[in-house]
Amino acid sequence: MATPKALQQPFSLRFASASFLAFWCLIAAFPIFWIAVMSFKSPVDAFSANPLDVIFGPTTRAGGDGLSILDIAIGLAVLIAAVRLAFTRLPKWVDRLSPQGMTVIGWLVGAGAYAIGFLVVFFGILPAVLGVLNSVAGPLGAPVLGLTAEHYYSVWIENGFWRNFQNSLIVTAGVVTISLTVGTLAGYGLARSGSNLAFWILIIALIFRALPHSVLVAGYLPVFINSAEILRPILGDNAPTLYGQPLAVIAVLVAINQPFTIWMLRSFFQNIPNELDEAARVDGCTHFQAFRWVIMPVMWPGVITTGLFSFLLAYNDLLVTSLLLDAQNQTMVPAIAGYFNRETTTTDQVEAVAAAVSITAPLFLLVMIFQRQIVSGLTAGAVKG
Amino acid sequence: MAEIQLRNVSKRWGSFVGVDDFNLTIADEEFLVLLGPSGCGKTTTMRMIAGLEDVTEGTISIDGQVVNDLDPKDRDIAMVFQSYGLYPNMNVYENIRFPLKVRKVDADSHDERVKRAAAMVELEPFMHRKPAELSGGQRQRVALARAIVREPNVFLMDEPLSNLDAKLRVSTRAQIKNLSHELKVTTIYVTHDQIEAMTLADRVVVMKQGVVQQVGTPTEIYDRPANTFVAGFIGSPAMNLMEGTLQDGTFTGDRVSISGLNGPNGPVTLGFRAEDAHVGDDQGEISAPVYTMELLGDATMIAVRAGGAMVSVKAHKEFRAEIGDTVSLSVSPEICHLFDAQTGARIAAE
Repeated sequence: MATPKALQQPFSLRFASASFLAFWCLIAAFPIFWIAVMSFKSPVDAFSANPLDVIFGPTTRAGGDGLSILDIAIGLAVLIAAVRLAFTRLPKWVDRLSPQGMTVIGWLVGAGAYAIGFLVVFFGILPAVLGVLNSVAGPLGAPVLGLTAEHYYSVWIENGFWRNFQNSLIVTAGVVTISLTVGTLAGYGLARSGSNLAFWILIIALIFRALPHSVLVAGYLPVFINSAEILRPILGDNAPTLYGQPLAVIAVLVAINQPFTIWMLRSFFQNIPNELDEAARVDGCTHFQAFRWVIMPVMWPGVITTGLFSFLLAYNDLLVTSLLLDAQNQTMVPAIAGYFNRETTTTDQVEAVAAAVSITAPLFLLVMIFQRQIVSGLTAGAVKG
Repeated sequence: MAEIQLRNVSKRWGSFVGVDDFNLTIADEEFLVLLGPSGCGKTTTMRMIAGLEDVTEGTISIDGQVVNDLDPKDRDIAMVFQSYGLYPNMNVYENIRFPLKVRKVDADSHDERVKRAAAMVELEPFMHRKPAELSGGQRQRVALARAIVREPNVFLMDEPLSNLDAKLRVSTRAQIKNLSHELKVTTIYVTHDQIEAMTLADRVVVMKQGVVQQVGTPTEIYDRPANTFVAGFIGSPAMNLMEGTLQDGTFTGDRVSISGLNGPNGPVTLGFRAEDAHVGDDQGEISAPVYTMELLGDATMIAVRAGGAMVSVKAHKEFRAEIGDTVSLSVSPEICHLFDAQTGARIAAE
């Protein structure tokens, strides 16, 4: 689409703004890029004084781990093809093959199958094929870029980082599920209610949101520490203490997050005209059916956006998780903080860096998947239609 | 099939009165129009009948059964909303089918009923579009089809045409009239447009500030308005209303004198319709300089200041006058309506 005349800019201005943006992106993305590069290098390279050594990793290469130009070219090609395939073909396959009304399950199965397929091709078939190709390609097949995954292996397998990952999954899943369930119900009720009470509930929620997180943690600590006594009458003598359990973290994080989700979901619900509820009620729905069958389908972009924020809060939380969880229940963020604080060798440091890079990958994936839903414009349709 | 009775129905929000003591029986298969300016309580009345708004006082019954405490879904009504209220995530077919689906109507009959309803409003080519891909008129027709698909006892329509452009309004209006005739369903229609009321209604209820002003057929309301509010609201242009005094059958006011009237002596408001009077010779009842002249094509409207108001008269389409020229308008006593100057109520001819 051509830019309308009123919005056209002179070339000099466009050039200046583009170069500023490029410069800014470079500065913003540099730390992530740099730790990503470091995490694949042997400690000597990763902490080398010469930045080129960090990038090309001569010591890593000498250790026998490296990529040739051929590897890089074919690897990149496969990656790009995989992404393009995921955005163009995958939706069509899912649409065609999933049965009526089961699109969500269809997507889960489709995405899962696609991910497994990609992993098999990229890490199973591709290295074997390239191994053969490199040996016949001459200079193109000689390694130029040092690259080793040994730190990832030692972090995830040897240090048991997968257990932290698992705990992170439990905590985030719990926080997102509870926040969204309570948030949609409360947000809908508050959006549709005209009473004074609704207003005051929202104000109180705002006050709770304004409290420093540490206040909430401190307030809950005695409850969790003594929870065994409280639970004994219900669960018997060997009632567990909640302290150190993911459940405790979920409770506190929900308390921190809930006011925000209620406010956010309420504003999404307010964008959905009342007439939609009323039409549904007249057409034969109970109040709850109207909510479930008419309002919720229009609300998905709001729910996904709010869910993403809840996810980020739970996933990135350090304060609550480090205070409330014992060692074997730690989530990824306090675990990484632990790696960095260790009495340490450079190897440990690179492993910490590898762990830090690991936790950004799921975020990246999540935003990639859901950005389409967020911009899907369903709400715009609701407001106009 | 459905007779609706409203007995002493009132709606109050705190001290604000939305609808005050509304009494009406709506006959089966009647097309009733609630007419009034915005804020007069007509939509509130309809929403109370639909069950979307609580009744503060009084009872609403459909077919003899009091429905005050019934949910909207249990009242066997269908409603068309001003801004359509279509479900944006469903296509036209699913929108029309929705009432059947939630009410668990035998699934085998859905397809046929949806197609029949869609055919009645000529929607067949758009069955697979989403509401966002339709024009305003098409959306309103989807809303109509969704209302008729279930064959309810009562139709409620809340200003269904006010979001459409003028041309579409005329054709959709005709479609609604035809549908209601064909389906023989009791219909309550809310509008602020008196032309819609005149063309569609079997009976019109004119409301103002929550109070019913007059109930009657369109002809009654046009020919015998019950008070100055109705007289000034119905008709295009509305009835001319002049202030003056009646003395021995002669009405006198600023630049006006009409004799041969029948009513009590004292201050009155006199009304007549623009098309009933005409520009006459020199001995007309009103003689005043032209304030403005509007050419309508089929007629010429002359406006003068007389009796403390702007008075318009429809003249022959070839009549011409300059602004400021004195014209003489003849207003015969038979076309005049007399209203009480204080209360505005009609003074019945003795």
